[in-house]
Amino acid sequence: MQHLTAETLARLVDEEPTEAERAHLASCAPCAKELAGYGAQTRALRSLPEILPPRGDWGVLEARLRSEGLVRDPGLLARLGLGRAPGWGGGAASLLCFGLGGFSGATLAARVGQAGPAEVGAEAEPAGTEALDGAEAAVRMAEQRYVEAMTRYRELAARSGGTAQIDPISRYAALEHLVLAGQAAVRQAPGDPYLNGLLASALAEREATARLVSSGEGWF
Amino acid sequence: METRATTTTDDGLIGLAADGDARAIRALYDRFSPRVYAVVRRIAGDDDLAQDWAQEAWIRAIRALPTFRGEARFSTWLHRIAVNAALQALRKAETRRRRETPLPAEPGEAHPSIEARPGDVLLRERIAWALDRIPARMREVLILHDVEGYTHEDIGEVLGIAPGTSKSQLFKARAKMRDLLGSLEAEESTRPDRGVETCSI
Repeated sequence: MQHLTAETLARLVDEEPTEAERAHLASCAPCAKELAGYGAQTRALRSLPEILPPRGDWGVLEARLRSEGLVRDPGLLARLGLGRAPGWGGGAASLLCFGLGGFSGATLAARVGQAGPAEVGAEAEPAGTEALDGAEAAVRMAEQRYVEAMTRYRELAARSGGTAQIDPISRYAALEHLVLAGQAAVRQAPGDPYLNGLLASALAEREATARLVSSGEGWF
Repeated sequence: METRATTTTDDGLIGLAADGDARAIRALYDRFSPRVYAVVRRIAGDDDLAQDWAQEAWIRAIRALPTFRGEARFSTWLHRIAVNAALQALRKAETRRRRETPLPAEPGEAHPSIEARPGDVLLRERIAWALDRIPARMREVLILHDVEGYTHEDIGEVLGIAPGTSKSQLFKARAKMRDLLGSLEAEESTRPDRGVETCSI
């Protein structure tokens, strides 16, 4: 008796046998067993699990996406989840403005004497606004002021030092302060979404800056 | 049959990602990267290659996101991009010739041990081991059909072959797998002091 070929058995996993094949399988235990083995193999293939990509894969991908201009960072409001979050008010805006002002000031003061924290922070301090709209406007203004200040700093640094690069290590150090302050705040109010958002944002910025420091690229 | 099952949340996320929103892209990556990586890894048959090819697949997908119209599920659309990217990379890398020379299980070659592991884990390891050792075109068809659930028509479209050729390659691939797994089992059964948990397929 001639056994069924391997390819025939492989076909019979998902196709009906002919009459002759059916008769053979009914009378040939080795072929029937082999067919069962093919079935088990195919079921095993269908249940193979997903495979997690290697750790750190996202970091590499993100860098590539950025280098190709496929990623833009969301605005600060969106990053903090504030654009559509109700219930945060003037206090939050005040804290954020303070943080932004202080952060900008610390970063600037670390590199140039012309623009200290008082100059930048004072303008980014429309605190005390109770209404949501007012608070959002305050945050937007603070963000705008921050960007303007950094742009100005970059110009000044380029003029005085001949380089358009801002020292990312100083920025990293400033972010480290912000992270520590954020962690302390979250410890005091663990459930506060605003504080958690602020901390998450600071952590993300710190991580991004660390990557830039290690890659040796400019950050601004 | 897959229907349009992209949720409103997915739609929003995809829209944001298409605009280049870093957080939305990260969210899509977190959700779909295991599936993308799995299919690319199985096609590549190699971890290092898979990492590069999966990255390439994601770059292509993010670049093409603005063209995604939601006519298919996002996961299906993304999966197809990943498969195409991996297949194209495979051709470019010219690994085909090397892979079409089957690698027999040689004594001392690292392959899944049978020692004290649950049967299903052992079985998956053996399957993965054997998958990496069958010729490239056979492996592609086997992965797309038996692992990923593509039809022969879909496979024909992706690989540029006739559905009949896909079938033929599939049967050969299954037979090759069976042969490799059988040799592994035979080897295990001849070893003394083994067989804590066997898993026969």
